[in-house]
Amino acid sequence: MLEGYPKQIALRDGTAVVVRPVEAKDEEVLLAFYRALPEEDRLFLRDDVTSQAWADRFIGSIDYETVIPLLAEAGGEVVANGTLYRTLHGWTTHVAEIRLAVARSFQRRGLGTAMLRELVGVAISAGVEKMIANVVDNQVGAIRAFEKRGFRREAVLKGHVKDIHGLKRDLVIMSNDVSHIWDAMAAMVADYSPTLGG
Amino acid sequence: MPKTEIRVGGLGGQGVILCGHIIGKAASIYDNKHATLIQSFGPEARGSACSAQVTFDEEPIGYPYVKRPDVLIVMSPDAYFQFAPSLKPGGVLLYESDLVTLDERLPEGVTAYGIPATRLAEELGRRLVLNIVMVGFFVGVTGLVSPEAAERAVVHSVPKGTEQLNQRAFRKGYEFGLQLVGRGNGGARHDA
Repeated sequence: MLEGYPKQIALRDGTAVVVRPVEAKDEEVLLAFYRALPEEDRLFLRDDVTSQAWADRFIGSIDYETVIPLLAEAGGEVVANGTLYRTLHGWTTHVAEIRLAVARSFQRRGLGTAMLRELVGVAISAGVEKMIANVVDNQVGAIRAFEKRGFRREAVLKGHVKDIHGLKRDLVIMSNDVSHIWDAMAAMVADYSPTLGG
Repeated sequence: MPKTEIRVGGLGGQGVILCGHIIGKAASIYDNKHATLIQSFGPEARGSACSAQVTFDEEPIGYPYVKRPDVLIVMSPDAYFQFAPSLKPGGVLLYESDLVTLDERLPEGVTAYGIPATRLAEELGRRLVLNIVMVGFFVGVTGLVSPEAAERAVVHSVPKGTEQLNQRAFRKGYEFGLQLVGRGNGGARHDA
């Protein structure tokens, strides 16, 4: 599912960015990327992504089956990291969660949308039927980027997160159901005659 | 290359017709040969027997029905029972090795190659693409259509959004077939 990487993409302003899977050797550059994110951007992330312990855990968890991370590089630095999380057991094997962080200097330049396009492509290629993402209600740019890639607001958890000022904010759960793609494939392999039965 | 006759057999829902369609499309549209496709279905959409007959040739084809195929692709035991005896002596059988068990009905001189296509498709993420694994396996073992033509036919025949997974399925089957033919292991081979 990761064929075709590394891949060079051009942002709206013509800046060239290389997108590729994260590898073990990227631990330091990834940590530098997260440490450079403003605190208000990091606050909504699930883990303390500035700690060495997190970096060790994250790199150790990459198996390209349940944890499939991509990064974007520009000028020798990591400028975005997006990861697909899946489970291979239980009742949500058809679902993947997307987590995405973009460097402040690359926000509002189309990189988030481009990374989402890549992540959605990888997810579909892995047979995923539904993708979800958690976004805080005031992350307008992120919500717009997800909507551009086919995500819709599925649920809102009221006052679920606190921002840097201690203000409670709503957490928006966005989802993109791509099962219709696989329904189309299922119809194609149904092997029934349009003039018989069916 | 002389006229080549292929039969694909299996159950409704396994993508038998699409498998035949893609092989014919690869040979005709992308390898510039003449090709025909005949399809037959059971009355139900799923679970009933169905088959596709594909013929391709450098010359125009006057008779599209396949009576004694050069290559038989079977994805179910019923298809094997029904069609194996009709294989041309010296022909090639490609079969789903987790579902089909070979027996004495295989004509003499037939070479059989097995692939666990359903399992490989599931490992890729979707059982639905088992027929595309079979297309790749057919190309890898027989070389009767070019891999480039077949891969293009796959990409241009499947629903938008599923191209990448189908491409991976094709390559999985293709490489499995190449390995089986080239090194004589990695799957089940049987000479009748």
